[in-house]
Amino acid sequence: MISGLTPLAVTSVTTSVALTVSMGLVLVAMIVWLARVEDIRSYVPASDIGGGAGQTEYGHEEKPGGITRWLTTVDHKDIGVLYGVYSVITLAWGGLSVLIMRTELLDPPATLIQSTTYNALLTSHGITLLFLFGTPILAAFANYFVPLLIGADDMAFPRINSIAFWLLPPGALLIWAGFFIPGIAPSQTSWTMYTPLSIQQPSPAVDLMLLGLHLTGVSATMGAINFIATIFTERAEEVDWANLDIFSWTVLTQSGLILFSFPLLGSALVMLLLDRNFGTTFFTVGGGGPLLWQNLFWFFGHPEVYIIVLPPMGLISIILPKFSGRKLFGFKFVVYSTLAIGVLSFGVWAHHMFATGMDPRLRASFMAVTLAIAVPSAVKTFNWMTTMWNGRLRLTAPMLFCIGFVSLFIIGGVTGVFLASIPVDLVLTDTYYVVGHFHFILMAILTAVFAGVYYWFPLYTGKWYQRGLAKWHFWLFMIGSNLTFFAMILLGYAGMPRRYATYNVDIGPVAQFTDLHQVATLGAYLIGLSGIIFLWNIVQSWLEGPPVQSSDPWELAEDGLLTNEWQWFDHQRETAITDGGAESEETDTDTDDNSEETA
Amino acid sequence: MSTTEDDSTDGHSHHLPAVEDWPQGFGEASWWPFVTALGAAGLYVGAGLFLLGQGDDALVGASVGPATIIAGVVLFLVGLYGWVYHGFVKHYWSRDAEDSTGKLRWGMLLFLGTEVATFGAGFVYYFFIRVGPWPPGELPDLLSSLVLANTAILILSSVTLHFAHSALRNGNRRRFAGLLGTTVLLGVVFLAGQVLEYYEFIVGEGFTLSSGIYFSAFFGLTGLHGLHVTLGVILLALLSVRTLYGHYSPERHTSVSTVSMYWHFVDAVWIFLVVTLYVGAAFTL
Repeated sequence: MISGLTPLAVTSVTTSVALTVSMGLVLVAMIVWLARVEDIRSYVPASDIGGGAGQTEYGHEEKPGGITRWLTTVDHKDIGVLYGVYSVITLAWGGLSVLIMRTELLDPPATLIQSTTYNALLTSHGITLLFLFGTPILAAFANYFVPLLIGADDMAFPRINSIAFWLLPPGALLIWAGFFIPGIAPSQTSWTMYTPLSIQQPSPAVDLMLLGLHLTGVSATMGAINFIATIFTERAEEVDWANLDIFSWTVLTQSGLILFSFPLLGSALVMLLLDRNFGTTFFTVGGGGPLLWQNLFWFFGHPEVYIIVLPPMGLISIILPKFSGRKLFGFKFVVYSTLAIGVLSFGVWAHHMFATGMDPRLRASFMAVTLAIAVPSAVKTFNWMTTMWNGRLRLTAPMLFCIGFVSLFIIGGVTGVFLASIPVDLVLTDTYYVVGHFHFILMAILTAVFAGVYYWFPLYTGKWYQRGLAKWHFWLFMIGSNLTFFAMILLGYAGMPRRYATYNVDIGPVAQFTDLHQVATLGAYLIGLSGIIFLWNIVQSWLEGPPVQSSDPWELAEDGLLTNEWQWFDHQRETAITDGGAESEETDTDTDDNSEETA
Repeated sequence: MSTTEDDSTDGHSHHLPAVEDWPQGFGEASWWPFVTALGAAGLYVGAGLFLLGQGDDALVGASVGPATIIAGVVLFLVGLYGWVYHGFVKHYWSRDAEDSTGKLRWGMLLFLGTEVATFGAGFVYYFFIRVGPWPPGELPDLLSSLVLANTAILILSSVTLHFAHSALRNGNRRRFAGLLGTTVLLGVVFLAGQVLEYYEFIVGEGFTLSSGIYFSAFFGLTGLHGLHVTLGVILLALLSVRTLYGHYSPERHTSVSTVSMYWHFVDAVWIFLVVTLYVGAAFTL
């Protein structure tokens, strides 16, 4: 009886349909991908490209064929690819969830989805993109390239590396469980999980999310231990601290931050679980109190910002000079600023809590450190700009994304300096200004990821991407990002609070809110479109793109900028050509006795 | 290192990390990480199912969660066994001197760094409530002879382990084995003491996890520490078993030194814990 349905029921039906359709799309994409990958043997690792690629069906004698290869692999490059594929799936879910939210915000009242659904999507969007995309996609790059850049055979602990990856998919399923399991409501805590709200929400989906977060945190910590041990102990003899590449420096610093922040979050999550289920008082009002949660959460949360921004800065520092025809300007200072950011990042967490009524003296000191952290960040941007100055710029897709990174990062950084100032923060806190500010940084991170994907695409696929599509991707992404997040900055100035599903209010500039939200939504669609182009370009080019003809596809040698990973690539191509794709048996058996893990 | 050629530009004499692992015959494939991760995931999913099985409107049966947890633990242990066996034990005798000592020590050191943060969150809670009005309600007799005896036992176990390690490095395997066994025994006695203390508090005096703000910290931190001691005892027991098989020598003692680092760390945490959580709660300046 349609006529008997309440408006609420209609909205909930619409919600279910919207969710089902979007999840269906994800599933279809996965099936299509799997169907193509069913032909896994035709994905040849870079070692087999060139001459004899077609002759060896299995690629490597070191690995079994088919899906078993991917489930059992302990090769850092394969694990890097797994991290990458996983991150694309989580990025798709994070992006789809926000497109539903942005569509809802086209008009002031709640028309498309209920506010509870909005809250659930908001929670999932933040958690997914920060924990399930942000950290893993950087692990993808670090896994593939750190061992190649430092001349190591593999990671220090190849099996731990594999375990760390395989903890992620179950972690993601637990975090998303509220959307799949009938009979429970998805978690609506927002990604910050502030108490007392997160203690009081009755849905067990919150518990499942906390468990999933803990699991992914364990995974990130294992990865961090592995990267530090690798960079400290597995460097080739000719790689010392003075000529360690800039990307490995940032991964090292990032891993140091993970080492102290993720385990602390893990304990806090367990304490929250105990509060919810076993009557403890860690974060209850009469016990440790809600501010304790905020302190612990942001002691993790602010370093997390640098955990996901430092390696992208490393990517830019390694890629941008290649297309400027010059070495990175002020290499040492880029390293020092990386270390400075690493240290300072543990002293700024309370700037997320300026409005909580904390001690003003403490507040002022956190403001000072927060302003101070702008200095090493600025050192980096100036070094990138001076690298480009008078350089021979080549505006390839990776270079465009590098420049995009610098510009988005500057806007995000400058808007952040204002927020660091307590009086300004007290006015703008919890408005869209904050959302706009940190999304400029996050979109900068994404541009660095894209720069890395395009820059190394010839190396890990042996193929070329389609340059025209890559430029479409870039321009749509940049225009979309600026439309969306400038609109949010303005929404914040106008006083629109963040995290609301509706803005159908009696007082306030509703007309302007509406216009700005529509601009932001338009921008979000453009970003979504650019994402589809990106995905198509990568998948299609990987399968059918023209093979790379040279082991120096970017012509870096003439500027003297060829780094270790391209020399590895060259070596792999030569091996593939001379002995038909596989390394000789003899080498394999001879090295058996040198198996890495001895105790 | 045997390579077909010495090409300085590549530096890839390529160690293959998992030659012995199942599936056999591939240098870069092993099922053990996948099995281990699946087991660990089973633990978390089981905990989730346990919570879904609580209350009147439970979504799953009450036994589903615990069953999943048990299955997860079994799978986890199978994975760990395969991994450790193939990684460290299987060809212990056919290997050269240790070239991976450095990275394994680094691994343990970094792990202990994460442990500081893991314990840190709990201690921060305790300090948060400790600076408030004290005592926060009725507290049991914290400084009993049991705690003092247990502390002495744990410190003694660090001493015995240290001398066991020294003995091994001096080539005295007999003394090493004896002192290592003593350490395991002391660890077990400590755990028994902790169980006794919990029994007295919970059954004897009725103080549980949910008895108030002090007991969240008390059971949270001593419980976390107890889990660490349990893991330590298991690791020490594994060392003992390998000692019985003749492993370890003055040149090869990496796992003895990494487990020692862990055990001394857990001991240090206990001392800090006694000073703050027991003594610090019993006295107010």
